[in-house]
Amino acid sequence: MEINEIKLLKTIKLAAQIILENGGETYRAEETIKYICNSFNVYDIESIATPTGFYITINSEKAESKTIVKRINKRTINLQKINDVNEISRQLSLHSISLNDALQKLNKIEYNPEEHDKFSLYYPAISSAFFTLLFGGGILEFFTALFTVILVTLISRNFENLHSSQFFSAIISGSLIAIIAILITYVTGIGNYNYIIVGCIMPLLPGLAMTNAIRDTIRGDLISGTARATEAILVASSLAAGAGVIIYIAYSTGILVS
Amino acid sequence: MILELLLQMLYCFGASFFYALIMNAPKKTLVHSSVIASLGYLIYIVCVNNGNLKLGFLLGTAFITFLGELYARKFKMPATIFIFPGIIPIVPGLGLYETMYEFVQNDISAALEVGVNTLVNIGAMAIAMAMVSLIVSKIKFNKN
Repeated sequence: MEINEIKLLKTIKLAAQIILENGGETYRAEETIKYICNSFNVYDIESIATPTGFYITINSEKAESKTIVKRINKRTINLQKINDVNEISRQLSLHSISLNDALQKLNKIEYNPEEHDKFSLYYPAISSAFFTLLFGGGILEFFTALFTVILVTLISRNFENLHSSQFFSAIISGSLIAIIAILITYVTGIGNYNYIIVGCIMPLLPGLAMTNAIRDTIRGDLISGTARATEAILVASSLAAGAGVIIYIAYSTGILVS
Repeated sequence: MILELLLQMLYCFGASFFYALIMNAPKKTLVHSSVIASLGYLIYIVCVNNGNLKLGFLLGTAFITFLGELYARKFKMPATIFIFPGIIPIVPGLGLYETMYEFVQNDISAALEVGVNTLVNIGAMAIAMAMVSLIVSKIKFNKN
């Protein structure tokens, strides 16, 4: 029984960690913890999850209560991993896999190196190009957006492991997009740089964080609501600031005329 | 007019399909979430063309969330996988950009106007998402 509890704690820790690191909602992490524990007849459990970390305590009558604290440092979005954890917790609550297997699978999800899809460089670019068309761009804007975002994706991959990378990659992506968009429309004399910039920025916007922030606040998760709002404002305003500085420079040097 | 709407739905499909690929969505949900996105965008753009911008944000997001929750039930997957790539075309990126643009042009009052409008639009999206999720979860509760 004793070993079982430690294993259970390890399993729910990994599950919550994967959910929070890959863009899952905080309530999903808390509910997953609760479901897994309840399916092993452990009911006296408290968990508090925020986007930057979580605490879990299991109270047992016989032994001392056990607590785990985990800090979440990197936050990306990977819907596949959230789905995998969801499936494992579903299987656990149906008792179709053992705790050992679940722990092994979770370890594999968390620690195995991610194989990058060989086309993953082009997905943001194609998405941006379609957004440019959606906002009213033509064929020139389409290809400019395609080219710009491939470049931006290549460059911002170097910032992935940097401290405060979200801020840096947003501000650099924003300004790079604005530079290329303004230059190409200036040189060719046709096309509208506004469409290109908006289209390229769309996939980089923290759309999920923006809506989740308000949703969390409505649910009463005030801490994670505030944290997500701060994250969304940080990323969105650094993107806007990066592009804004370039547009300002373009206006003051006379490249753009209002 | 109709051709233009169809074209925009096609662009929307492409944009959210590849957006879902960026976010590493499971392969078998890609088409579903993109179809949701196009249909939601259709509702949004029809409302916008009739001059009801905020209603567009509200109804578009409500529709996407509803279909997303239904698909989540059907596939036994988290609803986020369908909703997140679905709402991305509606997220007011244009409003955000215009806010910044007006700030750069030193027109503070216009920037504030556009900015507050954008915030209200995001709020409308969030309210629609929260309400629909709540209602759908209650429906499931009664059936069991």
